[in-house]
Amino acid sequence: MLTFTLFPVGYNVWLGFYAKHSLRATSTWLGLGNYTQMLADPDFWRATWLATVYAVGSTTLQIFTGVAGALILHQRFAGVDFLRGVALFPYMIPTVIAVFVWRWLMNDLYGVIPYVLGTLHIPGMPEAWLTHATIMWVLIVLSVWTFFPFVLVNVLARLQTIPPELYDAARVDGASAVRQFFHVTLPQLRNVLLIVLLLRGIWMFTKFDVPWLLGFGGGAGEAIRTLPVFTYQRSFTYYQAGMGAALSNIMLALLLMAVTIYFVAFPPSEDENDA
Amino acid sequence: MRRRPVSRTAAWALRLALFAFCAFPLYWMVVSSLKVSHELLASPPTFWPHEWELRAYRKLFYETNFWVYFKNTVIVSALTTVIVIVAGVIGAYSLTRYAFRGRTFVARMTLLAYMFPPIIMLVPLFLLARQLGLVNSIPGLALTYISFSLPYALWILRAFFQSIPLELEHAALIDGANRAQALAYIVMPLALPGIIATSIFTFIVAWNDFLFALVLIGQDELKTLAIGINEFFHMAVVDWGLIMAAGVMVTIPALVFFIAVQRYLIAGWGAGGLKG
Repeated sequence: MLTFTLFPVGYNVWLGFYAKHSLRATSTWLGLGNYTQMLADPDFWRATWLATVYAVGSTTLQIFTGVAGALILHQRFAGVDFLRGVALFPYMIPTVIAVFVWRWLMNDLYGVIPYVLGTLHIPGMPEAWLTHATIMWVLIVLSVWTFFPFVLVNVLARLQTIPPELYDAARVDGASAVRQFFHVTLPQLRNVLLIVLLLRGIWMFTKFDVPWLLGFGGGAGEAIRTLPVFTYQRSFTYYQAGMGAALSNIMLALLLMAVTIYFVAFPPSEDENDA
Repeated sequence: MRRRPVSRTAAWALRLALFAFCAFPLYWMVVSSLKVSHELLASPPTFWPHEWELRAYRKLFYETNFWVYFKNTVIVSALTTVIVIVAGVIGAYSLTRYAFRGRTFVARMTLLAYMFPPIIMLVPLFLLARQLGLVNSIPGLALTYISFSLPYALWILRAFFQSIPLELEHAALIDGANRAQALAYIVMPLALPGIIATSIFTFIVAWNDFLFALVLIGQDELKTLAIGINEFFHMAVVDWGLIMAAGVMVTIPALVFFIAVQRYLIAGWGAGGLKG
């Protein structure tokens, strides 16, 4: 099992030092050539920036939506089981389909969402959304829709294990619902939120299919050419496998750095081992 | 607890908002696949179609390679799931039941592998697949999925096996059962929900993947649904009805599956089960 994961990673590191065509068998030693070339390439920096915007934007909103959704579904009301099922649907739909549905919902000519937004007559509201200026917003909203159930499920599972006595005590002390949330619920959710934030952050930063499928059937793909898309293009549009490998290594290094900093900054508290 | 009517209304408004947010895109997909062409492109759009037709589905079934893609996806997902589960059960069992050097290390590595984004392995896996002649082959594609779903299958299964008390097995061993019998009659039945949950997650990884199918499969008759449906955009005129119909057809098996096994899914999710 380790060979499956470690061998490709090692091979990747090795490839990063070569100029290698993706289809031909030849390769030339470049040393750090790929890396110096990459760092001098404004497109690389732009891709890194876009991936960061995408990861931070979509992860933050997923956490908010997911926690809000979990709080809604933690209550008892008629139809709660049904709504729990519905709330998981977006995650179960194949990514490809989710993206196509959103491309149709947001279609510049026939989309239902631009139409509805248009009827509200909000000043400054764009008429078309799949354009250079606004496609990043569509990408983020669509990703929140697709992936927030992951946050929801993990948070909901944790909410159900919070002892009700904690709330009783808070109520006796006269705490309002808002204060109960900040002083009882949130501290209990700390660990699960930390791990969910880390996982979602990593997975959003390295998400390839969503930006690719949203952007590269249309024209505004440039504006959402995140680092994974850039890596894919280097490897399979320009056939620069060495450069592709070098880019993957950069992503890996960034992630390892993020994980390390993360665990140093927020060590998970010892007494709980959830998530 | 007594509640004021205002906060009750607010609570229902929030529930409704959550419902609309999750369900509307799906509703729109289904409705769009059933509209007649001119209504599909009508402005303003109709929220409840005036006319219904199955044109898009007929086109999907008879004029595209949909069923070929469907068959390929089922084969590759099934192959991946069976191999991952067999290897995962054996691996997770040994991780929880045998003490060997580096056991904790292996367990930690599986967590790392769970976080690990597949895109980082894109180039090396592609080059390896080419060297091994696994490009344009369904087993080759399955092998790729196995390589990145096995670690996290291990991760979930390990949690399930850990929750099964060792005493039960000891009792069986004392009664004269051997290891294999103890595994088959004591551990497996108890671990069944976990195994079902894990199979679903694995199946979904393969069913949903786009990236590796895109890179490894070029021949049309070997394409999976994800890349096959993407081809529909390369037609002279993009037929949104057709694409929405394909969406419905791909979503239905996933949903049926999901509803049938929802109980197990939630259990697995609690153990840290999904990726994507």
